[in-house]
Amino acid sequence: MMPLLRIERVSRHFRGVAALDDVSLDVPEGSISSLIGPNGAGKSTLFNLVSGFFRPGAGTIALRGERIDGIGPLRIARRGIARAFQIARPFPGLTVAENVRVGALFGSLGRRDVAAVTRDALTLAGLAARADQPAANLPLGHLRRLELARAIAARPMLLLADEPCAGLNRSETEEIIALLREIHRRGVAVLLVEHDMAMVMRISDRIFVLDAGSKIAEGPPEAVARDPRVIAAYLGTPEED
Amino acid sequence: MSLWQEGIRRHRGWIAASLLGFVVLAFAPALLPPFYLRVGTLFLFSAALSLSWTLLGGFAGYWSFGHTAFVGLGAFTAALLEGALHLHPATLSLAVGAAAAALACTLLSGLLAWPILRLRGIYFAVAMLAVAQVLAELTSNVDAIKGALGIVLPRVVLPGVAQHVLYYRLFLVLLFAILAIAFAVRISRLGQGLVSLREDEDTARMLGVPTERYKIAMFVLSAALTGLLGAVYAHSLGYITTESVYRTDISLDMIVYCLLGGIGTLIGPIVGAALMTVVTQVVLGQLLGIHMFLTGALLVLLVLAAPAGLVGLLARRRQVPAA
Repeated sequence: MMPLLRIERVSRHFRGVAALDDVSLDVPEGSISSLIGPNGAGKSTLFNLVSGFFRPGAGTIALRGERIDGIGPLRIARRGIARAFQIARPFPGLTVAENVRVGALFGSLGRRDVAAVTRDALTLAGLAARADQPAANLPLGHLRRLELARAIAARPMLLLADEPCAGLNRSETEEIIALLREIHRRGVAVLLVEHDMAMVMRISDRIFVLDAGSKIAEGPPEAVARDPRVIAAYLGTPEED
Repeated sequence: MSLWQEGIRRHRGWIAASLLGFVVLAFAPALLPPFYLRVGTLFLFSAALSLSWTLLGGFAGYWSFGHTAFVGLGAFTAALLEGALHLHPATLSLAVGAAAAALACTLLSGLLAWPILRLRGIYFAVAMLAVAQVLAELTSNVDAIKGALGIVLPRVVLPGVAQHVLYYRLFLVLLFAILAIAFAVRISRLGQGLVSLREDEDTARMLGVPTERYKIAMFVLSAALTGLLGAVYAHSLGYITTESVYRTDISLDMIVYCLLGGIGTLIGPIVGAALMTVVTQVVLGQLLGIHMFLTGALLVLLVLAAPAGLVGLLARRRQVPAA
């Protein structure tokens, strides 16, 4: 079966340094997958390549078999990939509802049922009560949920979530996990970058491990957690384990 | 088109108020003495210009500091073309001149859009300032344009309508036509995309907003409407030179009125233009010696007291975005 997202032999260099070196990975349909690895492993570079901010220096990226590398962030958004940033980037002068509405208006489905899609995304993210407040006034946990609500209002096939739980407390993290699961249950595949290993282990169907620009392991959470290369590269030296 | 229905329903109060405003202003000439009618004409022209400016500056956040470029280009396009064609009657000449003015500004802004709209913030503002300077210099120094010497425009006469009432009416119709266009833009998908790109252009693009296309569309629309106003303004003056239509104070007034009234809103430029026109022409007109000083001081005070404009000041408690 064709994967939802196929990254094939992708490399990207910055000033001669390989941020990603010959990385291939398949994100299956209907999955929650996670991308883990130490700082500088290339996770953000990979996200930037998939969402179109960078072009790969070599290799191809395809969404349901159609190439999306090099077509730019605008058309990638239209094809059905949405991204939620770690550093939430709301439109500060707009209300919470207006923020989500932009996602609904310009997402892959175009302008149909904008009001309904907006309402639905707000409710899903638990933001309905704050719909008419300026986005600039939201606390961090709400901002992350707004980021996710705006992304899913675009009705993507694939949601890229960049450390959605970073800096959140336990209960806020639980809210995000529940929200991601609900998004997934509705048929949106999720690709996470996350540092919170406990969270990654709980939520992921599949984990990809990057280290120094290369993929060093992939598989279901239990297998990856036992993989000696992963333990060495990511979790620390074996002695510490 | 549920988006339109929703927008119209949500803003029906504003639509009703605008129609009422139009009717009141349409009957005002019968009651106003000539001096106040001139003040009224200046207000309508200024408000229409500010609204045209806000299509790009207020909606998309691209502040042009040289929009007088399009007033001047529109005025001289109309003057030169009408002088060459000698159309009769003069109303036809005005219509052709105004259409040509809008077209010339469409072409110029279309050509400028690609290089100039890549500049953000203050760089775009200064680039537009330079465009206005270059056009003004060309107009003065190229003999064929006759900017230094000046051009007389055909005198438009409508039977039964006094000259000063004619331009009041023309600018009134133009103001409300531009208001309707701006409203249609604001409630459309385009308008919501523009506002999101004003807030954060990169994020907007990532969400699927075609930011480049939208910016260019607004730049061209704003320029064309400004050019149209410039052509009618030229007729209202009767005789134009470079100095009378390429005026930095026109460029700045457009911005000031929007800031005063509330930037990004539709009512803001109208409120700002009304306030400043009345204050400068009526109140301070008596104090010619310190007129400019008082105008400046008033501006500083208003901006300090109401950074979101008068509309923002009034709407602050209600959390209702003024349309």
